[in-house]
This record gives sequence, structure tokens and C-alpha cells, in this order.
Amino acid sequence: MIDPIASSPPSPVAGPPEPGEGGDGPAGLRPWRKPRRLPSGPLYAILRWGAAGFFAVLMIGLVVSIVSQSSQAFTHSGISFLWSGTWNPDAGDYAGGTLVVGTVLTTLVAMVLVVPVGLGISVSLSELTPRWLAGPLSTSIEFLAAVPSVVVGLWALLILSPVFATDVEPVLEGLPVLSWVFHGPAYGPSVLLASVVLAIMILPTVVALSRTALGGVPLSDREAAMALGATHWQVVRHTVLPGARSGIVAAVTLAVGRALGESIAVALVIGNRPAIPHSLLAPGATLGSAIVNEFAEASPGLGTSSVIALAAVLLLLTILVNVVGQLLIRVRNGRRLLGVRGAVV
Amino acid sequence: MKRHGEVTNPASNHSSDPRARVENRSGQLARESKLPADRLDPRTHGTGVTLDNVSITFGAHLAVRNVTLQMPARQVTALVGPSGCGKTSVLRAINRLHDHTGGAVRGTVRLGNLDVYGPDVQPEVLRSRIGMVFQRPNPFPTMSIFDNVISGLRFNGVRKKRLLREMGVAALHNAALWDIVKDRLDQPAVRLSGGQQQRLCIARALAIEPEVLLMDEPCSALDPVATAKIEDLIRHLSSEVTIALVTHNMFQAARVSDTVAVFLLGDDRIGELVEVGPTDGVFDTPSDARTKAYVTGHVG
Amino acid sequence: MSMLSSVQVALGGPMPDMGLVEVARRRAVVRDSARRSIRRRRMTGHAMQVICLIAVPIGLAPLVALLIATVAKGAGAVSIDFLTHAPTPSGVPGGGISTAIVGSGEIVAYAIALAVPLGLFIALFLFERPGGVASAIRFSADVLSGVPSIIVGIFAYAVFVERFHHVSNVAAGFALGVLMLPIMVRANEEAMRTVSIDLWEAGVSLGARRSRVARSVVLRGALPGVVTGNLLAVARAVGETAPLLFTVVSPAFAMTLLIFNDATEPFPDAQQTAWGTALVLLALVLILSVTARTVAWTLNRKTR
Repeated sequence: MIDPIASSPPSPVAGPPEPGEGGDGPAGLRPWRKPRRLPSGPLYAILRWGAAGFFAVLMIGLVVSIVSQSSQAFTHSGISFLWSGTWNPDAGDYAGGTLVVGTVLTTLVAMVLVVPVGLGISVSLSELTPRWLAGPLSTSIEFLAAVPSVVVGLWALLILSPVFATDVEPVLEGLPVLSWVFHGPAYGPSVLLASVVLAIMILPTVVALSRTALGGVPLSDREAAMALGATHWQVVRHTVLPGARSGIVAAVTLAVGRALGESIAVALVIGNRPAIPHSLLAPGATLGSAIVNEFAEASPGLGTSSVIALAAVLLLLTILVNVVGQLLIRVRNGRRLLGVRGAVV
Repeated sequence: MKRHGEVTNPASNHSSDPRARVENRSGQLARESKLPADRLDPRTHGTGVTLDNVSITFGAHLAVRNVTLQMPARQVTALVGPSGCGKTSVLRAINRLHDHTGGAVRGTVRLGNLDVYGPDVQPEVLRSRIGMVFQRPNPFPTMSIFDNVISGLRFNGVRKKRLLREMGVAALHNAALWDIVKDRLDQPAVRLSGGQQQRLCIARALAIEPEVLLMDEPCSALDPVATAKIEDLIRHLSSEVTIALVTHNMFQAARVSDTVAVFLLGDDRIGELVEVGPTDGVFDTPSDARTKAYVTGHVG
Repeated sequence: MSMLSSVQVALGGPMPDMGLVEVARRRAVVRDSARRSIRRRRMTGHAMQVICLIAVPIGLAPLVALLIATVAKGAGAVSIDFLTHAPTPSGVPGGGISTAIVGSGEIVAYAIALAVPLGLFIALFLFERPGGVASAIRFSADVLSGVPSIIVGIFAYAVFVERFHHVSNVAAGFALGVLMLPIMVRANEEAMRTVSIDLWEAGVSLGARRSRVARSVVLRGALPGVVTGNLLAVARAVGETAPLLFTVVSPAFAMTLLIFNDATEPFPDAQQTAWGTALVLLALVLILSVTARTVAWTLNRKTR
């Protein structure tokens, strides 16, 4: 899945397009007169409509094919495939419940790691660093998004995992308070490691979108706070951050969507044990990692269908989260345009 | 001056001489708030703003030069002139907003006796003495009406709820907004109309009890009815606060101000102060030829 | 909440000049509070700023570590031979990744052939016919860009492999094309928007055929953004692995698959190959990204 932020072009007029921006008439961020509807040459019209139609076919086809391929598994196990049972192909057990748990768990831990760091970075870049420094720094963070997931996975498996096994995990095991979360045995591949890898991969998304949200707070709000005697941090905390709240929520939501679907890097480091992990230091599995690991060896028919059923579940989850995120962004843009201040005159 | 343990005796205040009553009350308040009594009597007290040879530069571009101007205490001084002459820049120099816009201010700006750009001055504390109202109403969109009003107090560390309530209510009264919002103090501020929002911003500025109120074309985004209400408010407020009003509307300046300062663009496109004096004088019998041209509409 | 101050209440009712004295008292309260709290406020501010700033090296550290590791470990493997020789059976030293490079190139070529023209025309559609349909398409493109690449891979599998019963680079190219499409559409449309509407209408009023007008005026003006956006989308697609899992014959024919495969092999030789390929891949992605931004920058400067 491709990150729309890191790959958007630096447009000459404004920054890269945010998802949700653009659009017709008053809903778009740059209001422009509608071009008069002029009749176009027939070939040209066919091409345009054809392209749009093909796109619609693609979208619908995607959903249809996944659903139909997985129907065999669903008829076999019933709808409870979604939340119950264990995944054990050798024993003939096909159910996605534990994998959903694993997916949610890794995503949750990844968000716990990424949100503070990502917010801290975006506040730093947007408020606390001089302009000449913020530019290169944010370009570097965006470069992280361009690194292929398989390379991140390779590095995590061959370099990070041993470090975790020898240095990090023993320390965490020894922590007195959190032992119910961190307890052994731990030998490298683990839910925690996968979560860290996920966090690394979605950080640029969080940073980029949060920065946009922070930058969208109008200057006059900040100046009003300053004119009242607020310190720089007070301005940030009471004016900028609350003003960017909905944008940051949208950023986090979209990042969750991305984390849910990341499969390659996770598959390399999570240990592929499709059972509910008893601790963060134990190996586990997610929907994505299971699909990666199981597809090749799945027995045709029910086996393959079950793997594709996992994909269907993942698709459902991702679409839900992404729709919510996109709606949040559009609502934020819409409010900003109508004037969050309501009628001004 | 302050005597511990002194019991306030209401009876001693019922003298027939109003001034004596006030002075007695000053003494009482002085003991309560631990300040010298003469500081508490604002009839002899008030803070004016003095600019001495002020020039403001943005990068390589000189925006306005050699402004020498006195804004008398507890009066309305209007800064008029066409756009681009530096009126707003001069205004922002007073509360040091240029610290953040990259403008370099040369010359001396005084708030009363205090050199605003002096080495020991902390800008945040300075700004707690100066209120500002901007061109477009800008209430904080994520706060309720009342939270907006007391936001300045909170920024400055005032925490006692009783105090916040008291001062917030007083500010809303002073901005002639209380009756309109008293039933919806916790509604979002953005639901008010434009004119009401601007009065909310005025209330917000007044809540910190500034000595000087800077107003940057406060009515330019408003309709005539709202404008009239705010002009009323300005006249009323000037009995307690020194007001500096930037406006491009000469008639507004004539209606509202006691002193007017005319800014125009010099031949080299740099803003300068052309004439300053009592409003009637400047508009009826301007001394400078350029002022005359501006006032009669030949220029600007 | 009464307007009367507590002092007024204590003294039994409002007095004529009370207002001004009240003002003075309140003024004093605010001034004192401001002065007394400034140090605390500033210190809190500085502490929070430090906390935020610490996040920056924390966030950058993994990237730096990754880059250093890839260069350090990969440099040993990469050589002219590495790039030009085909792989040898596992366990046998020597050999390179030429097949993988060629294979990846072919796959990406198919993807470009699918996505670039489609992306252009869809963007033109969105640009010239705004309306409900366009909004729906735009929204679904945004949602599509969030669909995990592995699911797109399964889609490609269902369309091609199931039907034709053999894997192929075309199937892989299809999957990557579908992945690139939403990004390209977004970037193209945005680029077209920055072309002045007046230019478009002026061109039309000169009487040229509509399609010719659209092509010459809009596309020429939008060219920088279009090229940049498409290059960046390609850079991202080049790094995808999941779609290839289901559609490519063998890891020897795609770089990303090769890395994925060799990463899990216990042979140090295989791991070495993985690092080397990773370095090549990283360099490729870097070159594409930098080229994209340079193109945008130079073309922008020319048209300004």
C-alpha cells in the first residue's frame, strides 16, 4: 500500500496535495470558477469516460474478487470466522479470530509508540525549529517513508532483532511493574519488535499530516494569544494544538489504516505463531503476516480460500478505518472554509 | 501604609463629600490589595504611549521612518492614512509583536515611563498591560465564549475561579456584550455574529485590564450597524484606557478620536508621519499641505 | 454571579467612583500575577520544548541506523559482477542479481503502461467534469490508496493467475499499476489545478478543437507536477513486495522478492545477497525520488 503523503509532488503553488483536498466548487480548498461545460471531441470524451469507468470497474472488481474467492471459507466456517477460533491449517482449523487480535495488538502498541514521538516531531518542526532547519529535517523524515518495507524488514530481522534479544528484551523482562506485559521466554521475533517496526514505518505519515494540521492554524489566533501575554509554549498548547486537534486525529486514523495493512516487514519479525500472545515479548501473528506466510503453502480450495478470507477481513478493517480518516479530513477542510468562525459579516 | 489587623469600618465611609468617600475607599482597597493608595486612583493616573524617532524595517525594506508621536493617556489617538504607510507596523511595535514577525524596530517606544524595548523588559509581562484587537475578529475557535474572555487572565497565571468569573463578567459588561451572551456563556465563540465576535475580542482584551488598548482597523470587516456599536464602545472605554486606533476611515477618526496622526507615503514609498494634533484641528485646519490633500480626498 | 464586586457588597452598595478604583485593583491583580508567574510559565515552556525536540533524534535514529547498515553490509556485495550476472544455485558462491533487476524492470514497465495513461485520463475527467461522480471517484481513489498492497496482490492473483493458471510479470505489473493509480490521479489532478483557468478558456476561445486545447494548454502547464507525481509513484511501487508474492514465478526475477526470500535463509551468502540487493533497491528509489523533485524544481523555474 502506497503512502499518499510521501509520494505526492511538491506542487509549485502550495504544498503536496492532502488526501481530501481539491474538489469541485466550495468544497475544494482553492475555490475556482467552474470551466464552462464545452462539448469535446468524441474520442477525447470516450477516453475520459472510459478511464473513469475502468477505474470504477477496478474498485468494484477488487472487492468482488476478494469476497468471492473467500466465500468458500466463509460458508465452511460461518461468519464466526471473523472473530473466533484459532488458525491451524495442519489441523484443519481455519478461523481468523486470533489473527485479528494480533493485528489489533500490534497496531495498538505501534500507535502508543508513534503518536508521542510523531507529535513531538511535528510540533518541533512546525514551531520550535528555524525554517532553514525544518525543511531538511522534514525531507529526511519523508525519506523514511520511501524506504521499501522489505528493506526495513531486512534490517529489523538481521540487525534489530538480535539487539532486541540480547539487550532490550532481558531489560524489559526484568521490569518489576510491567511483568504481566513483558515476560519471557523471548528470543528475538516478537510482537513488540513488530510493533516497533510498524511504528518506524508509519512515523512519516503521522508527522507529515500533523504538520499540515499544525500549520493550518491561522496566524491571527497565535497573535491574539501572544498579544494577551502568553509565552511561546502557551501559544502552542492553548491555541495551535487545540486548533489542530481534528487534523491530528485524522492523521492518526490514517496511520492506523496503514499499520493494519503492513504485512511484509511484520511477517519477517513477528515469529509467525498464530495464537494470542501471552506477552509482548512472545511471537505472534497478524492478518497480514499470516497471509504472507500461509499463501504459498495453502492447500488449494478451502486452504487458499481461507487465506483469502483473511484478506477479506483485513480489507474490511482497512476500508473502515480509511473511510473514517478521509471523512475526518474532509470535515476539517469543510469547516475551515465555511469559516470555523461562522458568519463573519 | 498598610497596617495589619486593621478592621474596616463601613461607618467611616459615609461622609457627604464624594471625593473623601473615594479616598477612604481607596485606603481600604489599598490595605486589601497591598498597594499605595495614590496608585489606585486612576483619575490622576493613566498611561500614555510615546514614540520617539521610531523606524521599522523588514529585512532590507524600510516600512516606516522617523515616527515621533505622543498618545495621551486615556484618550483615543487615531492613526489614519492609506494602506501601506506603516500604521499597523507602528501599532505592533508598541506591544512588541514584531519580535515574531521579523521586523526590526529602531527608536524608542515608551509605555508610560517604561522603555518597551529595554533590556529588562519581559515581552509577556509587557503585553499583559496592553490589549490588542485585530482587523478580523479572531476569537479562539476551540473555546467557549466565557473561556475566550478569561483566556488572557489564564495566560497570565490568574487561577482563582472567583476572580476569573468576576473579571470575565466585568469585561463582558464593559464590552456591552453581557446581555447578549449571558445565557450562553459556554457555547462556542464562533457562533456569534461578526460584530459580536469583535466585541468578544474586545472583552477578551479588556479582561486583563490593560492600560493601553491597541485597535487595528477593528471595524473594517463589519457592517455599519456593528461598526457604530463598536465606535460607541471606543468612546466609552477611553475614560479608563488609552486607545490607539488604526483606521483608514477618516470619518471614523473624526467621530471617535481626540488626537489624530496622519501617515502618508513619502516620495520614496516609505511611510512617514506627516502631521499629528487634536482631531478637530487637523481635519479643519491642517498645517501640512499633504495632510490637506489627503483630508480633502486628493490623495490616498 | 453579580456584577457588584465583593468590596462593594461589603460596603453596602455601589458608590459613584467605585468603577475606576475597581479597575485599578484588578489591574494590579493581573500585573502581579503576570510578573509572578512568568518564570514558571517560561520554564514549563522550555521543558516541554526540550521534550518535543528530543523526539526528533528518536524519530530519525532508525532511519540513520538503517541507512548505515544497508550501505555497510551491502557495499561488500555490490560489484559490476553482482549487477550483471545471473544468480547461481543456492550454496554456490558468485552470481548476481541481473535477472532480478531485469525482472523488476519489466514488471514496473507493465505497471507504468497501465497506470500512467489511465491516471492522466482519470485526472482529466476529474478536472473537467466536476460533480458528484467526480467526488465519488476522488473519494474512492483516496480510500484505495489506503488498501494494503497485499490485498491488491491477491486481487491480481484472482484476475490473472486463477484464470490463466500461471504466474506472470503481467499480473505483477497489473498489481503495481493498481497501487500506483490513486497516487498518480491525485498528483495529476492537483497539477492540473494549478494551471490557470484563464489559460484554458483563452485557448478555447481561439477556436482550437477542444481536445487539442486541453492537451496543449492544460497538460503543458501541468507537466512538472505530472512528471514529478508519476515518478514518485513509481519510486514507491518499485519497493513493493507483497503483490509480487502471488504473481511472480520465482524470487530470482524480482528484487524485492529476492530480498524477502534471502532474508530468511540461514546461509550467510544469501544474507549478503539480500543486503546487496537492498542497497541497489535503495539507491534506485533514492535516484527516482531525487529526480522527481529536481524535475519539479527545474520545470517550475522555467515556467515561472
